[in-house]
Amino acid sequence: MANIFPRWSNWLPLQIAACLLIIGPVLVAGVTYYFTPKYTRVGYEPIQPVAFDHSLHVTQLGMDCRYCHTGVEVSSHSNVPNTQTCMNCHAHVQANNPKLAPVKKSFETGQPIPWVRIHQAPDYVYFNHAVHVNRGISCRECHGEVNNMTVVRHDQPMSMGWCLSCHRNPETKIRPLDKVYDLSWKAESPEAQAEMGKRLVEAWRVKPPQDCAGCHR
Amino acid sequence: MKRDFQYPDVTGRRHWKGLDELAGTPEFNEWLHREFPAGASELAADGSSRRAFLQLMGASLGLAGLAGCRRPEAHIVPFTKSPEWMVPGRALQYASTMPRRRGSLPVLVTTFNGRPTKIEGNPLHPMSGGKTDSFAQASILDVYDPDRSRRILKGGVATDAKALQDQIAEWRKAWAADGGKGVAFIVDETLSPTRVRLAGELLKQFPNISGCIHEPMLDCDDDLNATRAAFGPRGHAAVDFAKADVVLALGSDFLGNDDGTLADVREFSLRRRPGKAMNRLYVAEHAFTVTGGSADHRLRVAESLLPHVAAEIGREILKCGRDVGLRELVDAMPPAPHWSDKQAAWIRECAKDLVAHSCHCAVVAGFAQHGATQIIAHAINAALDNLGKTVIPRPRPGFGPSDHILGLPRMAERLAAGEIHTLFILGANPAYTAPADMNFGDLLKKVKTIVHHGLYVDETAEAAHWHLPAAHFIEAWGDTIAADHSYCSIQPMILPLFGGWSQLQLLAALAGKPFSEGPEEIQETFRAKARMSHGPDFDRAWTRFVHDGFARPDFPATAAPAQFDAARAAAALRLNIPRDPAPTPDGLEVVLAADYRVDDGRYINNGWMQEFPDPITKLTWENAALMSPATAKALGLRVQKRGGIVKDGVTVGQVIKITAGGRTIEAPVLEAPGHADNSITLHLGYGHRATGKVGSGSGFDAYALRTTKNPRLLTGAKIEATGRVHRFAVTQEHHSLEGRDHAREAPLEHFKKHPDFAKHLGVHSPPLKNAFDSKPFLTAPHQWAMAVDLSACTGCGTCMVACQAENNIPIVGAEQVRNGREMHWVRVDRYFTSHEDYSPDLGTAPSDPEMLAQPVMCQHCENAPCEVVCPVNATVHNDEGLNVMAYNRCIGTRYCANNCPYKVRRFNYFDYNQRPVLERHKFLGFDIGGLYFGPTRPKGSPETLKMQRNPNVTVRMRGVMEKCTFCVQRLEVAKIDQKVRAGASPDITVPANSIQTACQQACPAAAISFGNEADPRDTVVGHRADQRSYEVLSFLNTRPRVSYLAKIRNPNPAMPDAAHVGMSALREAHDHGEEPGASAGAHGHEKPAGATKPHGGH
Repeated sequence: MANIFPRWSNWLPLQIAACLLIIGPVLVAGVTYYFTPKYTRVGYEPIQPVAFDHSLHVTQLGMDCRYCHTGVEVSSHSNVPNTQTCMNCHAHVQANNPKLAPVKKSFETGQPIPWVRIHQAPDYVYFNHAVHVNRGISCRECHGEVNNMTVVRHDQPMSMGWCLSCHRNPETKIRPLDKVYDLSWKAESPEAQAEMGKRLVEAWRVKPPQDCAGCHR
Repeated sequence: MKRDFQYPDVTGRRHWKGLDELAGTPEFNEWLHREFPAGASELAADGSSRRAFLQLMGASLGLAGLAGCRRPEAHIVPFTKSPEWMVPGRALQYASTMPRRRGSLPVLVTTFNGRPTKIEGNPLHPMSGGKTDSFAQASILDVYDPDRSRRILKGGVATDAKALQDQIAEWRKAWAADGGKGVAFIVDETLSPTRVRLAGELLKQFPNISGCIHEPMLDCDDDLNATRAAFGPRGHAAVDFAKADVVLALGSDFLGNDDGTLADVREFSLRRRPGKAMNRLYVAEHAFTVTGGSADHRLRVAESLLPHVAAEIGREILKCGRDVGLRELVDAMPPAPHWSDKQAAWIRECAKDLVAHSCHCAVVAGFAQHGATQIIAHAINAALDNLGKTVIPRPRPGFGPSDHILGLPRMAERLAAGEIHTLFILGANPAYTAPADMNFGDLLKKVKTIVHHGLYVDETAEAAHWHLPAAHFIEAWGDTIAADHSYCSIQPMILPLFGGWSQLQLLAALAGKPFSEGPEEIQETFRAKARMSHGPDFDRAWTRFVHDGFARPDFPATAAPAQFDAARAAAALRLNIPRDPAPTPDGLEVVLAADYRVDDGRYINNGWMQEFPDPITKLTWENAALMSPATAKALGLRVQKRGGIVKDGVTVGQVIKITAGGRTIEAPVLEAPGHADNSITLHLGYGHRATGKVGSGSGFDAYALRTTKNPRLLTGAKIEATGRVHRFAVTQEHHSLEGRDHAREAPLEHFKKHPDFAKHLGVHSPPLKNAFDSKPFLTAPHQWAMAVDLSACTGCGTCMVACQAENNIPIVGAEQVRNGREMHWVRVDRYFTSHEDYSPDLGTAPSDPEMLAQPVMCQHCENAPCEVVCPVNATVHNDEGLNVMAYNRCIGTRYCANNCPYKVRRFNYFDYNQRPVLERHKFLGFDIGGLYFGPTRPKGSPETLKMQRNPNVTVRMRGVMEKCTFCVQRLEVAKIDQKVRAGASPDITVPANSIQTACQQACPAAAISFGNEADPRDTVVGHRADQRSYEVLSFLNTRPRVSYLAKIRNPNPAMPDAAHVGMSALREAHDHGEEPGASAGAHGHEKPAGATKPHGGH
């Protein structure tokens, strides 16, 4: 009686096992890296309807974040400025620059400018800007050095683990209140940050919530 | 197999929520042993089967495709120019007023980015005190009701505002010729001074116009006539409950929905706490109301006999030597029927108690009661020297009949005579609510042109030639008057969603004024009232008026103290002698009453009110013929023989034909403990012939029995059984708790002797010890806790609707309620209790039970049983003592609900928020609810309803468990605001008493306190440490963060039932031959101190 299975099939189980041993970890590693916001979201840099240049306005002209993002200190939401805010200056400055045509048109027609959203917390996450900026967390910690960005991009992963890394160790990020909107400020050294952070966390009783209700309601 | 816990010995007599619990039927035990009621986790209960389910699932799997893999591009759309005050992400509150027929309710409306989402009371105004009732809470849903009428209709065909304006101009031209002869108005009661002014202007131009105010619940104006007979001005006798030590309510539901103001509820409830001089409440009524449930002594008596009860009390008071014209009245009354010994003693001792508290008592007759009852009540108040002290007669806000304002009957006569050719019906719905003997539908056919203005295309709109959608009170400018006669503003929060006009805009247009969205008309009225001309002073006063929501009355609310006019009162009584016979099984009485849920029918299309269980019967989505269990048994109407009314997990009742006054309706019977015998209560407002999706097919129309002469009470009614069985959607035995003494109470005397009695009731257990100490974990500066004072709670259920509005809780529909899937986070358990035992032989419930209400929400146990069984850590504890739910983690195992001894967890069996809850489809021959089709049918939740949602609360989806969160969104906002204020300082503790949960904020009786247990200044700390404080099921060592303050009743020791009142939780005296009530306390003293004592706080 002839052999039903050829000789090479004796190695098949071992080959399959070896393949699985390789494929499994590769899959896990792939998912861990590619399926997380660190990969899927960081670097998102959509084209905006108006080519607003943060580095020009903030670093060159020295404008404060709060001139446009007026609600950041009082509201959960840091608002995108309305057209009126742009026109406060641009009615006089660069009034005829064609790059500003959509702003002018919006102001005249009352049709808002549809800015493309970059940072989006899921619906079940209730992030609050006011409590962060009023307690020594700079814009920079989440949004990166926007003052140097020509086009705004997604800078930090903003995953839950990333949020918690700071909520568990606020001393690594906290800074004096007068430096919150100074995006280029940095403690002299990591040691200096750690020392100052510890002091501020204690003095201000900073206790970032680490339970579900802190962000999920 | 579920293990039955062997409950140790319990004290006290039984509390029962329903007849099945009392009878201990297998149906009830089935309910008791499940985490959800029997139908809840079964699919088959809806007429479909498991097989049908699998077919559906197959179909839905086939349809499921892969969604796009790219992240969708989203946009941020800022304003072009910022509106004033608006900060994206923050709520704004505006003062406004909800128009009410008996005195409007000042409110604050919360808006998010221009969307009104929630209504709270206006804390500046004394008539609200920051409180609301369920109707105010639910009215926000009406704004977004997709069934509201959206178009101007001419002959049923849509037209535009231009056509209407042209038509108005045409009418005005025609009326100018004959002064508006044959033009008439029927309007609802909005108490708007501007409407009166505009009507005056209209009359000046067209003097022959006539008008009529039609409010079905005001049409019986016996109360106005009685007040006029007794005191002169037409009005009502307002009671100062802060001063009244003893109150007798004769068929008056002043704590409920018909007589009182929220200020009355608040003041009455303040006097219910045993700490201060506690008041005493006597109630004589035919069916339980929330007032009767709060009573210290309740006399169950047929409605027809109430005038005789009043007269008998009058006679007893005369015996005590009090007169002032009372004798003349009492003598005019026909001889009283035969009272039983108990009834006679009740009346005698009640009268004696009233006399003993002369000047400090009050007799309140329900406004819909027979005129004789009301006149005698006024006379008793006069005889007891209460006038000007506890009882203050004052004109009712409103503009009563005058030469031009007719009553509905006279308007009907004119319509019948064909004198009216153009009829404007504004706000009212007479085609549905008018008395049946008027045949209003036929009368309307005689009118050439009918113009209807209302929120819905209702019965009247269908009969009308023109229909104009109305603006909701939140959508337009207006003004109105509160019960204390203060002048209140109504300001719009949002432009009319469906393009409606307000009544004032329509009247202004008819008066020839240009159309305006602004407040010009209101300003003109305000200017006249404030006696101001244009200028900065006026602008300031106006801004303040709109900001505060009201202006103080610049005229005295009452003139000189009213004098009782005995002769005039007696004359009025003789004209109106009650001749209703006492009801018998052959001649039943039928009482028509306003409903706790849909009022007179105006909230029929409001899903929250429809699903809000009646505070007494716990019935949802429909009305029923309520009668006492004894009557139901005597008439042979029982469906279940064992004494219960539950069959296959659903409350059932037989459909009967009720014939009264020559008219017949069909209604299902629902047995209501505590109801007078041979008496039937029918709630009005259901059974609309034309309404929206929510209201259609709900209940039966009791207006069909109502006549001009008998708007409330019909006698000599006959019934006929049809043999058909109706399945009710009743929640009363859903979520029943095992064991006893969840709601604890005691009489005042017992409480004085044993102030800590409540801690010693319930199941006794050995000293409780934790295997692990959970305390070190609870380290946050805030430790949230709640206390509910059962002494103050009336069981009205406003908390349920407030919670629903705040927390985006969906409605589920009648079929789902029958399956026990209602989603309310807080429920109000209503217990009956009686010293009489249930006798299975007789199969009847005790005839005179007491009622006890207890709101139950998540107890936020420190040792939460739900947390340890969750396999995915979706429900965990935080360091502030909250039992938090992470919806996103929940995979729907329902283990937590299974393990919750309080049964407060609610499961989203379907996607109630996104799916068509109320739609039904035919499938394989079955009639199946739309929900069961899942994703195979398009999503059906109306877009407008999404606008109501609170943006700070997650909208939950199918397969997720949810429960009370202690309004964690409010806590987080408060904590964040405090941290923002703190800035670079360590002051992060929220100030004491600065946070209110939604239920607490709404509660008119202020029964709920909430706050930070770690802050000794917080009220809740005092309440939790109160001697009356106890925790439910504390023997399980759950250590709840919600504690209850035991209810204290204040019985009069001389009353026949004094030995039993408030004794429900205590061991009966005759059991042990001890002094009444002493045993439980004594028992408590034997025990080692603190054995069942809850932990002492922080």
